[in-house]
Amino acid sequence: MEGYRVVTMDDAASQGNIFVTATGNVHVINHAHMKAMKNEAIVCNIGHFDSEIDIASLEKYEWDEIKPQVDHVTFPDGKKITILAKGRLVNLGCATGHPSFVMSASFTNQTMAQIELFNNYKKYENKVYILPKTLDEKVARLHLAKIGVNLTRLSTEQAEYIGVPADGPYKPNHYRY
Amino acid sequence: MATQAAKNLAPDFKVADMKLADWGRKEIQIAEHEMPGLMALREEYKGKQPLKGARITGSLHMTIQTAVLIETLADLGAQVRWASCNIYSTQDHAAAAIAAAGIPVFAWKGETLEEYWWCTEQALAWADGKGPNMILDDGGDATMLVHKGAEYEAKGVVPDADANANEEWKVFLGLCKRSLAANPKKWTTVAAGIHGVTEETTTGVHRLYQMQERGELRFPAMNVNDSVTKSKFDNLYGCRESLLDGIKRATDVMIAGKICVVLGYGDVGKGCAQAFRGMGATVGVTEIDPI
Repeated sequence: MEGYRVVTMDDAASQGNIFVTATGNVHVINHAHMKAMKNEAIVCNIGHFDSEIDIASLEKYEWDEIKPQVDHVTFPDGKKITILAKGRLVNLGCATGHPSFVMSASFTNQTMAQIELFNNYKKYENKVYILPKTLDEKVARLHLAKIGVNLTRLSTEQAEYIGVPADGPYKPNHYRY
Repeated sequence: MATQAAKNLAPDFKVADMKLADWGRKEIQIAEHEMPGLMALREEYKGKQPLKGARITGSLHMTIQTAVLIETLADLGAQVRWASCNIYSTQDHAAAAIAAAGIPVFAWKGETLEEYWWCTEQALAWADGKGPNMILDDGGDATMLVHKGAEYEAKGVVPDADANANEEWKVFLGLCKRSLAANPKKWTTVAAGIHGVTEETTTGVHRLYQMQERGELRFPAMNVNDSVTKSKFDNLYGCRESLLDGIKRATDVMIAGKICVVLGYGDVGKGCAQAFRGMGATVGVTEIDPI
């Protein structure tokens, strides 16, 4: 519904110029896909691990390092493809990762999670938890002034009408954003 | 470099080049202006030290932004030891600045797999043979080392890697074998001292839920990834900017007019697809989920 064509890699391999993996899975770009690619196709990964592209299947071919984390791989028929960061995170391997502002939101969550768990670990079982929505909303609030956001405040009448506190949390836990 | 049993180094850090520390410090100061949430926590908890007594081992990309996180944790009273969670992701000037600030950090850009796991082991090794009491993880490697190490100690043996296993798994099992031979109780003791882990990313969270289902988790875990202000921002808007940054610095290729294929249409994939479209590419996505 965003206007992108939804395709399979079997069909798209021979059509694309640039490929990025973001699945968290294994070998979603395999040897057959890379064999089918156009000359000078660029192949990279932005998922956490280097499992998404079958780099090992290319080891038998000639590798030419253009510069660190940028390699040309030549197939037996002479076709070349460019592999970035040897299939590891391209944004951190070839650049410097995400910008500070968005990492502030992530790391504010991290810091609050550390404070909560370190001080109250006895209240938790050996399970996986998520932070309460009040803290999620707090993280967001701490970032609004920097980008000039003027939030509208619920009046008492409006808050009662939709049944949420004027100070939040505003959405039920099942809301997906 | 051979993996060795972790011990206290002098000096207690390993980075690429300490001469980069001043440059790193300047960029950290710029980043602080762009990280209002972390700076607000420093202000809110001034003098309160809510992390006093915390010994935090961090395994997360040692970048300038992470340096601001590390110094926030320290400002809140924690002792911190750090390693990167990817062999290529360290910014050497950030690591040098953190080392210069007296915080033990083991990270440089372009580690071998052996060096990577050595760094992770160093970050988990505190003075007097202690371990951390908290882990801050990204992808779950530090948590995995503690859990697998303790699991193999309980069995008394580390399995051999399959012939088909990837290189990293072979390196990992090699480390576990050396550790078991040197101290058959090391990871069991470390695991028992850990109060909890906070996990940064989708992949690490996936691992944690799998461990929870199998009843293997040895301490509580906080899934930071699924805070709305994490995955709906970092994964989406972060990748929307840093994907093209990586491709451009690597290749200088023109994106407009290209056919770009994004595999996986989660938050990260959505950000990547938007970035390509914004530059004028024709974008295709692959996905398994009909929703």
